[in-house]
Amino acid sequence: CSDFQKTLKSDDTAAKFEMAEELYDAQKWAKSYRLLDQILQKYRGKPQAEKITFMHAMCSYHLGDYYIASYHLDKFTDVYPQSEKLEQASFLSAKGYYFNSPVYSKEQKETLEAIEKLQLFINAYPNSQYLGEANTLVKELDFKLEKKAFEIAKQYDLIKDYKASIKSFNNFLLEFPGTSLRSEAFFYRLDAAYNLAILSVDYLKEDRLKEAISYYNALKKSYPNSTNLDSANLMNERLQEELKTFTTNKVKTL
Amino acid sequence: QVEGGETYLIKDITVTGNTNFSAQTIIAYSKLRRDEEIQVGGEKIANAVKTLWKSNLFSSIDIYIINIDGNTADLEINLSDLPELKDLTIEGIKKGKKDELISENKLKPGVKVTENLIATTKNYLTNKYRKKGFLNTKVKVTTSQVIDSVEKERVNMLVDINKGEKVKIKSINFEGNDKMTDKKLRKAMKNTKQKSLSPLRILKRSKYIEDDFRTDLVSLVDYYKENGYRDARVISDSISYIDEKTISLDIKVEEGEKYTFGKITFVGNTVYSDRQLALLLGIKEGDTYNGVELRERISDETNPDAQDITNAYQNNGYMFSTINPVEVSAEGNVIDMEIRISEGKPAYFNNVTVVGNDVTNDHVVYREIRTRPGQLYRKSDIIRTIRELGQLGFFDAQQITPNIKNPNPVDGTLDVEYSVVEQGSSQIQLQGGYGGGGFIGTLGLSFNNFSIKDIFKKDAYKPVPRGDGQSLALRLQASQYFQTYSFSFSEPWLGGKKPYQMSTSLSHSKQFLYDSSSGGADKDRSFNITGLTFGLSTRLSKPDDYFVLSQALSFQHYNLNNYTTSLFTFGDGYSNNLSYTVGLSRSDLRVDPIFPTGGSSFSVSAKFSFPYSLVNGVDYKALIDERDGLDASDSSDYERIAEIDQERFKWLEFYKVKFKAEWYQSLTKKFVLRPSMEFGFLGAYNNSRGVIPFERFFVGGDGLANYSLDGREVVQLRGYPNQSLSDTDGGSIYNKFSLELRYPITLGSSAKIYALSFLEAGSSVNEFKDFDPFKLQRSAGFGLRIFMPAFGLLGIDFGHAFDESPYGTQVKNWETHFIIGQQF
Repeated sequence: CSDFQKTLKSDDTAAKFEMAEELYDAQKWAKSYRLLDQILQKYRGKPQAEKITFMHAMCSYHLGDYYIASYHLDKFTDVYPQSEKLEQASFLSAKGYYFNSPVYSKEQKETLEAIEKLQLFINAYPNSQYLGEANTLVKELDFKLEKKAFEIAKQYDLIKDYKASIKSFNNFLLEFPGTSLRSEAFFYRLDAAYNLAILSVDYLKEDRLKEAISYYNALKKSYPNSTNLDSANLMNERLQEELKTFTTNKVKTL
Repeated sequence: QVEGGETYLIKDITVTGNTNFSAQTIIAYSKLRRDEEIQVGGEKIANAVKTLWKSNLFSSIDIYIINIDGNTADLEINLSDLPELKDLTIEGIKKGKKDELISENKLKPGVKVTENLIATTKNYLTNKYRKKGFLNTKVKVTTSQVIDSVEKERVNMLVDINKGEKVKIKSINFEGNDKMTDKKLRKAMKNTKQKSLSPLRILKRSKYIEDDFRTDLVSLVDYYKENGYRDARVISDSISYIDEKTISLDIKVEEGEKYTFGKITFVGNTVYSDRQLALLLGIKEGDTYNGVELRERISDETNPDAQDITNAYQNNGYMFSTINPVEVSAEGNVIDMEIRISEGKPAYFNNVTVVGNDVTNDHVVYREIRTRPGQLYRKSDIIRTIRELGQLGFFDAQQITPNIKNPNPVDGTLDVEYSVVEQGSSQIQLQGGYGGGGFIGTLGLSFNNFSIKDIFKKDAYKPVPRGDGQSLALRLQASQYFQTYSFSFSEPWLGGKKPYQMSTSLSHSKQFLYDSSSGGADKDRSFNITGLTFGLSTRLSKPDDYFVLSQALSFQHYNLNNYTTSLFTFGDGYSNNLSYTVGLSRSDLRVDPIFPTGGSSFSVSAKFSFPYSLVNGVDYKALIDERDGLDASDSSDYERIAEIDQERFKWLEFYKVKFKAEWYQSLTKKFVLRPSMEFGFLGAYNNSRGVIPFERFFVGGDGLANYSLDGREVVQLRGYPNQSLSDTDGGSIYNKFSLELRYPITLGSSAKIYALSFLEAGSSVNEFKDFDPFKLQRSAGFGLRIFMPAFGLLGIDFGHAFDESPYGTQVKNWETHFIIGQQF
């Protein structure tokens, strides 16, 4: 039987605390966690409780169990608002939410929670040493939401529901005006509008051609150096040509 | 003696009386404090008594003011505990019912016996037996004190139940009904029936249950209302005892006048003309007034697909429309109606979102959604989306809810958020069982909603990569006679642009011949089949989008190793089967896939090989002539026959056409009728080359394909032994008709159970000239199906055969079939 097992099974609370601290310092999170878990209740209301609660939460954080970690860190900040670890605990709790955020293509409940938590931290500690990191994390999470909306709009283009794609890109541009995907969104909106116009029934064709051309102009004006401009130019040429033949035909039939 | 109203400062509080609780507890509980001022007859004392009383622990509580000294005084709380229950005796009911009574009323020893407890027990029992028709139930509860060694007050309780005779309704009599016959009115009372001589009515007995009777009186009035008697009401109802066991119910009604619809006018409609709306409404001037029908024709809450006026608007973009029928005049018995319609702006979807997909990726869900941003609002699209998302199998079909958000009547926009709940869609199957003449072990892994692109990502293994809607299955099956291995993968949207389903499968199987001398498998004589299939299928948009076109290319290699049977004269040969299948199917089965109540499904398919004999220059005519001249019993001739057959079947040359159709039709609220028919034909391009020994039809029995090796098709025809209606080597033509009547017993989410009865007829032959679609082997029977998500479908059928097998198999009168995980 190792010392750890012996201590784990003993009733000596003080010894457990001591060993848990040692293990914590040695970054043996799993073992430390088991000891802390046992003594957490026993020290309730005593001066050591603050340290134990913090270490207990941090162990789950280091073990990657972020749901539990954030829960315990939140509790820690509630119970010990005077603690010197308060700022760190608040930040790591928020960061725990950040780690729970899934890939952009799945539900983003945790992402929204993480953004909210991090924003609350930023508001509460505007001079924090973690401020830089917090801002980076928020940016990363915001980008996830942008990417999600962008990919959905792009998928409508892929499955040839061009109207839904255009509408979704317009909604996307309204919702995320500062997005880094703006130039791409401009391009794919043009792509959807281009296809819609080219394949259009006659009585809507003129309006759709004009709409597509307006999207081309928007792209060209805002992003003259876009990598997609070559393909956009080709689309524009075809659109202009179609518009010309369409209007001449219209004149003829009149 | 003190007057009311004086105020004293409390010095001390004492507790006296017969109680087991500590004085401290009682004082704390009473919220009375020392050094506190109280008023005699004031709120504090009253509250203290109230709180103590509420605890349900005491039979008497008194609070006295004692030792008055100037303006200080002491308080004395005198109370006695309620007696605890010691023994309980119940008389008049069975043992099993006693336990139920004890637990429902919490009559455990040690419980405090309050007046309330006695009263509720009494009421509970009286009501319970009244509900079962024991109208004369009498319950007596008596308690008696016990003195025993424990210094506690305890009582014994005796519950005496006298159920009396079950009371039956001899007759239901009506008074005041001139327009409706007694018989019709009795029929309108769904749950209260008078004693009947008819043996048919066994489910509803003539019990008298007060609650049911009250609801039936309401249905009685509704029945009048549906027939135009708007003012009908029940004036009085009474029970009279004929004798101990029978009663009669007397109901007095006032019918009032019969009303009819007068002019019906539509106001506010611009989208639909008066004529169109009148057609949808289906009610004309002069029709009997029926408020229920009017409401249903305008908006039928029970059926989301109903052809009513509300849906006409809702399915055409008019989300903000409202329709109100208003009675504008009621002259005499004629009611003029005005249907007031406010159409509003047509609404378009703005944002369409999905929440709850914490496993499934967005692109898998969004491509199935029929309401897209910028599209016109149609309620029917939302309903269809919910159904189709449910059919994916990734989400709990019951929990998919569309949440309409930010409806904006001014702009004519709305958002919709589909809330889904993921459900496990992977299965591990590990089973052993008897079948096919021995023990069969199966290991199956099937992952639906798999994600093949994540297979190299370590993080994605929770426990397998999921979320891309693909399915992957592995299956190993073995017994002493055979082994099969198979792998399959499918992607529902190949390339992500269109619903082109790509599926591919790889399988290998090995079968050993039965060795009659050892009674086991002869490992030296085997038949191996290796197969590869690649298929593509796509949903069509015309004629409607329930059509699916599928194509498949498959290759199978048959390898015989000293495997001689009557079918295979070339015992050490091989055979290749390269074929192309094209199929068209349509299915719009509604709603529950286990128990459809509507819709139909049909499929037609053709499978064929390349016509080799047209190009390879082999003279099959000469070969078959030579073969006919040989004698199979002669060993040298036999070798030559084997050589010839090997040549004939080196590359299988055939075509196969199949047709299948089934319908589901609700007959009444519950019964569902399922007629179906199917047909199959296997032919040869070159008659000299002949019909191949593979790909054949085996008709008869439970229809379970235990291990389908050689492309055979096992066709269910209950009442006959398995495969008894085909030649031992299978038939090349078959047809079958079947009529099944189904009745659901329960359709809960944990288990779905239904009973069925069937009539079936079918046959199979080897030559087209023998084919007569009306010379069929018939059967009838009944059975039961149980579907549980954990076990799949289980069933048992009992079938009776009416005809003999044309191929000489002994047919029993009754055949029992067990159905496992098949056909639904």
